[in-house]
Amino acid sequence: MNKDKFYYPVLVMIIITAVFTFLLAWLNNVTEEVIALNEETELRRKILYVFNIDVPSNEPEEIERVFNEHVKSEEIGDETVYYIEEDGEIVGYAFPVDGIALWGSLSAYIGISADYSELLGIEFIHHSETPGLGGRIDEEWFKEQFRGLDLTEGEQGEYIIYKPAIGGNVDAIAGATQTSRAVRDIINKGIYDFITQGRSDT
Amino acid sequence: MAGGNYKKIFKDGIWNENPIFRQVIGICSTLAVTNLMLNSLIMGLAVIFTIAFSELTVSIIRKFTPRHVRMIIQVLIISVYVIIVDIFLKAYYPEMSKALGPYVGLIITNCILMGRCEGFAQNNPPVKSFLDGIASGLGYTFILLSVSFVRELFGFGTIFGFKVLGDWWTNWTIMVMPPSAFFILGVIVWWARSKTEKEEKEKEGGTALS
Repeated sequence: MNKDKFYYPVLVMIIITAVFTFLLAWLNNVTEEVIALNEETELRRKILYVFNIDVPSNEPEEIERVFNEHVKSEEIGDETVYYIEEDGEIVGYAFPVDGIALWGSLSAYIGISADYSELLGIEFIHHSETPGLGGRIDEEWFKEQFRGLDLTEGEQGEYIIYKPAIGGNVDAIAGATQTSRAVRDIINKGIYDFITQGRSDT
Repeated sequence: MAGGNYKKIFKDGIWNENPIFRQVIGICSTLAVTNLMLNSLIMGLAVIFTIAFSELTVSIIRKFTPRHVRMIIQVLIISVYVIIVDIFLKAYYPEMSKALGPYVGLIITNCILMGRCEGFAQNNPPVKSFLDGIASGLGYTFILLSVSFVRELFGFGTIFGFKVLGDWWTNWTIMVMPPSAFFILGVIVWWARSKTEKEEKEKEGGTALS
């Protein structure tokens, strides 16, 4: 082929683009299921954590089995609310919340008991806080503090108060004041909205 | 091609023409992903993979590539390999994909890759280009690991997640934040430059100026 012809670069570009695009499309197709499964497993593991249900192993199948056994879900508006039942009665909900933290958006799931009296647990789905500082909200000790908090005393949506303030019930993270504050506000607002909406619905 | 030639490629990539402290390119990711050694290692491997195969591909098709669209083709090839890495991490190593976040995708804009593809692979045979890619990638990884070694040691008291400093150690918050990478990188560049400057002076003293 004549390299000097005007159509030569166009032809080369078309061929190269087509070849590489097909390669990527094929790769994407092959791994699609694995990636979807990973994400689903991750979410299931987190919902189970919110409800404080132990998963005996890290195998995706095992997590799926435990999840299907305990947790049911329902679409409300455009979000999915998960709930657990005991003897046919709903005992707890887990609902998604999101908001702005220090470095970017933060999304989490909050679990509360069906009579809105107790915080069951929280788990963060996505955040972009600094590793080692704000990123420590992912650490077990921080999230565990929220389990079993009494929600009946919260005035004006002040369910979570950091120690040593009066009525404080949770420790903030040292060196990550802004992130801690954002987390508190997102959770307080999330619970308040859920409870008030839930009451007006029923 | 003599064996000494390959040796020179590696020496150039890792030391003489090290992308980071000699050419001072690709430092954005050096600052971003070096707070843990494991992150740096995976990032380094991702860059080695991308750069080596991009150079190989560019070199193979260099004879068919029209001169004035060669840059577009290089970027296209680099993006393909970066997307492959991204998909691979997402599928088989989801935690690492989350930890590195957007920086895997940003390898596409890393100057080291464009620089090596344009500067080396465009004029050299495939095997040589492939090795040059590995050498440059190693040079990059080497600096990344040095920076993250200091940052993880002082910031977390750990190396690759293993605790090496006891409970008496107070973690330096600054080491966890990106600015610390500036200081450490600055010190490394300083050290490397002063070392090479000495070598260059010795050479000049030994041979007549050409």
